[in-house]
Amino acid sequence: MKKKGTVEGLEPVERLDVKALPSAPRSIGGGLRVNIRGRSVQLRGLHRSPTGLLRWLAILGPGLIATSAGNDAGGIATYSQAGAKFGYDLIWVMVILTLSFAVVQEMCARLGAATGRGLLDLIRERFGIGWALFAVVIILIANAGVTVSEFVGIGAAMELMGVSKYIAIPVGAVLIWYLVIFGSYSKVEKILLLMTLVFFAYPVAAFMAHPNWGEVAHGAFIPTFRADPAYLFLIVGLLGTTLTPYIQIFQQSSLVEKGVARRHYGPERIDAYVGAVFSNLMSISMIIATAATLYVVGKRDIESAADAARALEPVVGNAATLLFGVGLLGATLLAGAVLPLATAYAVSEAFGVPKGVNLDFRRGKVFFSLFTALIVIGAGLALIPNVPVMQLLVGVQVLNGVLLPIILVFILLLINDKRLTGDLKNTRRNNVLAFGTLILITTAVVVMLGGQLLELLGVHVFGA
Amino acid sequence: MVMFSQLRRFDLSDEQGARSNLTDLGIALLDADYPPVTRLFFLNAQNKKRSLPWNQVREVDLKARRIRVRDLEQAQSESTDSMAKEVLLGDDVLDALVLDLQNRRATRANDLWLEQEKDQFVLRAADTSFGAILRRLTRGRYGRVAKSALYDWKYVEFLRGDPDAVRNGEGYHLRVARLPPGEIARLTDLLPYLHASELITLLPDDKAVDTLEALSPERQLQVFEELEEEQAITLLTLMAPDIAADLLGRLPTKVMRRYLNQLPETQGERLIELLRYPEDTVGGIMTNDVVCARASLTVAKAREKLREPLKKPDFVYSIYIVNNEKSRQLRGMISLRDLITADDELRMEEIMDPYLTTLNPLSPASEAAYKVIDSHVAALPVVGDEGQLLGIVTVDAAIAQVAPAIWRTQAPRIFS
Repeated sequence: MKKKGTVEGLEPVERLDVKALPSAPRSIGGGLRVNIRGRSVQLRGLHRSPTGLLRWLAILGPGLIATSAGNDAGGIATYSQAGAKFGYDLIWVMVILTLSFAVVQEMCARLGAATGRGLLDLIRERFGIGWALFAVVIILIANAGVTVSEFVGIGAAMELMGVSKYIAIPVGAVLIWYLVIFGSYSKVEKILLLMTLVFFAYPVAAFMAHPNWGEVAHGAFIPTFRADPAYLFLIVGLLGTTLTPYIQIFQQSSLVEKGVARRHYGPERIDAYVGAVFSNLMSISMIIATAATLYVVGKRDIESAADAARALEPVVGNAATLLFGVGLLGATLLAGAVLPLATAYAVSEAFGVPKGVNLDFRRGKVFFSLFTALIVIGAGLALIPNVPVMQLLVGVQVLNGVLLPIILVFILLLINDKRLTGDLKNTRRNNVLAFGTLILITTAVVVMLGGQLLELLGVHVFGA
Repeated sequence: MVMFSQLRRFDLSDEQGARSNLTDLGIALLDADYPPVTRLFFLNAQNKKRSLPWNQVREVDLKARRIRVRDLEQAQSESTDSMAKEVLLGDDVLDALVLDLQNRRATRANDLWLEQEKDQFVLRAADTSFGAILRRLTRGRYGRVAKSALYDWKYVEFLRGDPDAVRNGEGYHLRVARLPPGEIARLTDLLPYLHASELITLLPDDKAVDTLEALSPERQLQVFEELEEEQAITLLTLMAPDIAADLLGRLPTKVMRRYLNQLPETQGERLIELLRYPEDTVGGIMTNDVVCARASLTVAKAREKLREPLKKPDFVYSIYIVNNEKSRQLRGMISLRDLITADDELRMEEIMDPYLTTLNPLSPASEAAYKVIDSHVAALPVVGDEGQLLGIVTVDAAIAQVAPAIWRTQAPRIFS
């Protein structure tokens, strides 16, 4: 019936030799054998998320990127300062914080999956407009502070490469604004992420600087307290930069964006834990690398980015400054774009006004104004001459640390609201750990603030 | 007329002179356009939450800002059965995400406008302005009511963010169902997935199916999984087989098997057939809900025979001509127009177009997609090794295959 050599479309379809037609991949294997409707069929059209090794790669990949990108200007400054000033002594804080961070990150992820909504939305819906406004103000202060620090970082990074910050910061601000509003940001983002990979030099540096591992272990597992205001100040800074309020808001909305439904939340838990542990390992390696290079030679105060860059010298030698500059620029540009954008999204959502970069300006007035204002404020404040860069960067993290307990209380109230989270409500173990974190942070903040206040009044509780 | 934020601060007293603080109002979210206030909530002397039905209200004096009821002592405590069905203005509606159908956007109800209708108060409009926020924060001192910021409740869709709530017999006025499915889909994109799922639950089945089909695959899965099994199966049965198969292929294996076993025979077999092909092959993007006719039929006979089959599938623009319905040996194709205009006594094989470009079910999907798009026809048939008709790849499926991901969900499905 069929004839070889007939041409498709030129002869009647019934006379075509169908077998000879296309060059099809005949051998397809795989699939899943399933018993359905009383017979066994091989189904190959199933869309399955990767398992085994692939699954781990899928977790670790984004985790690694988020880790390197999460280390923004404030983080690098705080970890470097901690290492330079107190050597390995503060590592124990990071060890405790790893547990806290993992618990808090996981809670935020869970809250996102259980409700499909962002943190500010939930605050608005559960606690009303007054509390929502309060939370918005807190978030705006915290995020504006961090945005300033990112622009300071952009300036510092470019100065390492010999460009004046008075040129670099305005150009950076305009560039970020333009790229985000007019579109090609997603392409640029990949380049920026690549630049931040430089920071993986830190773990290497931590080893190559040959730190005294005995002292490192001592610093990591035996808490030391010092009656030194700077010590407390840095502890709160470490809290603030590790558990930054904006990271939690991100974590929650990224789960919402990813479209993780409550019944598929289970595997996401591991992602959250892995991300938290990774990011803190990186931070610890920064402290070790700085301590082993600067603290040991008596350089106890980091005044500029150039000082901080010296921690990378064991790996790359003289190129340390340049390399550090590249990494810092990538990280700060990235955060400088994402932070104002995410803040504008979250606030617009809480007020129910249109949001998104694809809107025209008339419809997205509030959204665009917020985004623009944050960049203008960030870049503007960063341009003030003679700001002590490192103090400012660490100061912003301390501010974050002070605001952190407030956000944590909201998160805890929401995640324990069975009407919202249902089966994904906090377990008792979760609550114990989370409340522990809350008490720890609050104590640190209160003690630090109290100390500073008394200091102002001329009472020296902490000695010299 | 009065704003809810103001009414909530009214004095509440009874004929015996006892006083209390109003905390919330319950409304009946029925099929009516403007839901009436049915119950008031307050804290009694012991600071316990109590409620009274609205018919206990003697007078509402807007000028003097007070509400008088017959007897506060007769109030019921919170946990009565009727309570479960009620929606609270303050707890549920105020600050909630609502769909503003006039502007096709999601927004928040910053304040609510109540209107007096004889003895009743009804929810007339939602205030979404910043003025309303100011009004609430300053306890009514600032933030005057601007008429332009009030959105008629008739065109506001309120969702609770809980698909289960609907199943408990909540009533809604569903104006959103009048919109075309694509537009409903874009609106649900603005909502959290639980709200979106609730909306799908509320829609009539045919509208729900079309809306689901217009969602992006990830979103579709997320929304679909929150549906109750019975509705899920109904929707899967009505759905275009290619989309339904993609959706099933993303479900956990256990759930997929359960659904496949419960589906009606025809649709079940269709879906199993489609699921046998890998996603990136022609078989993975084809649909097998096709209208066929025997080659030897006369036009008049075919018209009569096809009247029923043409009612169901999405794709009806071409009718495929086969040797017989059993072996489905493909012989040609006629268009719907041919079927209607051709002379009654002609046979199908006399009017059909026998020169067809066909696709192999195992060839790569993207290659075939370009073939469909280039050929400028609504669909190309997919033919198996024995020359039997397996299905068709529509131009919609082809575009979805080659278009960039962002574009994909926006692209309309016109032919299927």
